[in-house]
Amino acid sequence: MGLQDRLSRELVASWAIAKKDVAIYYLRPGTIVGGVLFPLFMFLAFTAGKLSTPAALIPGLISITTLFSASSIEPVSIPIERRTGTFDRLLSAPISLNALVLGESLSGLLYSVCIASVVFVAALLILSTPIVSIVPIVLGVLLSSFCFATMASLFAAYPTESPGDIISMVNLVRFPLIFISGVFIPLAALPAFGQMLAYISPLTYANDLIQSGYHGKTVLNPFIDLAMLIVFILIFQVVANYLYKRFND
Amino acid sequence: MDSAHAIDVSHLVKKFGTLTAINDISFSIGVGEIFGFLGPNGAGKTTTIRILTGISPPTAGTATIFGHDIVRETVAARQSMGIVSETSNVYTDLTGWQNMMFSAQLYRVGRSEREKNATELLKRFELYERQRDKVHGFSKGMRRRLTIAMGLVNSPRLLFLDEPTSGLDVQSNLIIRDVISDLIQQGVTVFLTTHNIEEANVLCDRVAIINKGLIAAIDAPERLKKTIQSVQSIEVSFDSGSPTQLDELRRIPMVNEARKEGDKFRLFTEDPSEVIAGVMTYARSHNTRVISITTLGPSLEDVFVKLTGLERSGGGVTAID
Repeated sequence: MGLQDRLSRELVASWAIAKKDVAIYYLRPGTIVGGVLFPLFMFLAFTAGKLSTPAALIPGLISITTLFSASSIEPVSIPIERRTGTFDRLLSAPISLNALVLGESLSGLLYSVCIASVVFVAALLILSTPIVSIVPIVLGVLLSSFCFATMASLFAAYPTESPGDIISMVNLVRFPLIFISGVFIPLAALPAFGQMLAYISPLTYANDLIQSGYHGKTVLNPFIDLAMLIVFILIFQVVANYLYKRFND
Repeated sequence: MDSAHAIDVSHLVKKFGTLTAINDISFSIGVGEIFGFLGPNGAGKTTTIRILTGISPPTAGTATIFGHDIVRETVAARQSMGIVSETSNVYTDLTGWQNMMFSAQLYRVGRSEREKNATELLKRFELYERQRDKVHGFSKGMRRRLTIAMGLVNSPRLLFLDEPTSGLDVQSNLIIRDVISDLIQQGVTVFLTTHNIEEANVLCDRVAIINKGLIAAIDAPERLKKTIQSVQSIEVSFDSGSPTQLDELRRIPMVNEARKEGDKFRLFTEDPSEVIAGVMTYARSHNTRVISITTLGPSLEDVFVKLTGLERSGGGVTAID
């Protein structure tokens, strides 16, 4: 079997897994609460607290939308599939673990892109939020969605049949990230320790890239943002692959 | 790559910490063979299947599927397999048709072939009329049939069947057994795990009995039965009975064990002629008549009981530990 054939086989299987997740999990209550309501409430909390104007908060809202919605599918789908035995069907299919993780992550990515697009279009139409360039926004949404979906796949490797266990673990990471990544509180306003932590958060790079599309300026170089998001995706993919292999033993 | 054997297992060991689940087992399964894998709960059946399907790696030893090493060439080895697990692991939020399509896509079956296969299999399993319904409305038997249909959608050369008919209705049982018989005719290799020993006896070319991680015996069912000719039995029924009849029959000379099976009694012995004489004497002395009496050889269940150290309880067998 050639490399091209192997890659094609893996991508077809990944896409099949993603489509299956779309059909089954997108409208589950746990997914909607984690992927839609959490970022919405967070946004309302910051605007109601008059920390900033709604229009100014839109880039941050898009950033945390990608974080929450991209990471809301796998923590629900994988434990449920372990309980019903369907996850064994995926584990025993003629595909690699990389393809399995990619397929699961793709469903989170698509979910996130859909919801972020709704936020983007609504902000444009209702709040007339100005944008400087759409390219960094699109790239930021795509890469950060992929990154956070892969991060969720990594957490979902933990061998439990209860979605609550995974969601709790993911929340332990998601909530602190909002406050250390310059989403609603600028990086410059963070204490020195917070700024150090910001650089190990993928949300910092995602938010910086998306902010540049709206404001035309970045704290970091946009290419660094892109590169760091890709690095995080690769790290999460490799670690997820390792954990699935280890926990299946 | 191809091989004369569908499965080759060599010195397979699986340890979980200090527990040895599989302890140096070796066997081969020929192409087109129906191989039964029997054993009490916790004997190592599921662990063996998880290794052979590439879900779990062995601690030591090797396993190949049609010549492909399951650890080093996992994807190639799995491509020729169909796997039907013990639980009916279907997606209840999808329709029967969507389940079939998903399974086929995982095995990269082309569109026209997967639609043709799915249609044929759904008809074969009498699910075609319900193909557009979501599976959560299916009965237990229908879900089981769909699980097996999904395992066959890639036209596998080797099928792992884990408890295919356990706890099913008569209709589902008949359909599934018919399909297994067809697979045998088509030359598909079947690795069958079942608690239904009679099912293994009827279907399998060979069976392996695994106990405490070791293969206790591996041979054709009839040859295995010959190894324990000492476990012969007499099946007898009387025209009248009493509550103490079982205990009285146990006291007949040369009867090692007696069991009540419906309206009949089964008396285990190493000397059937002596016991038949004893039974006739018993009937005369208790003013009862023998309605039927049959000499039986050892069953595969007898072999299983003897080799696994289980003890009989009522009509079935239970583990000692």
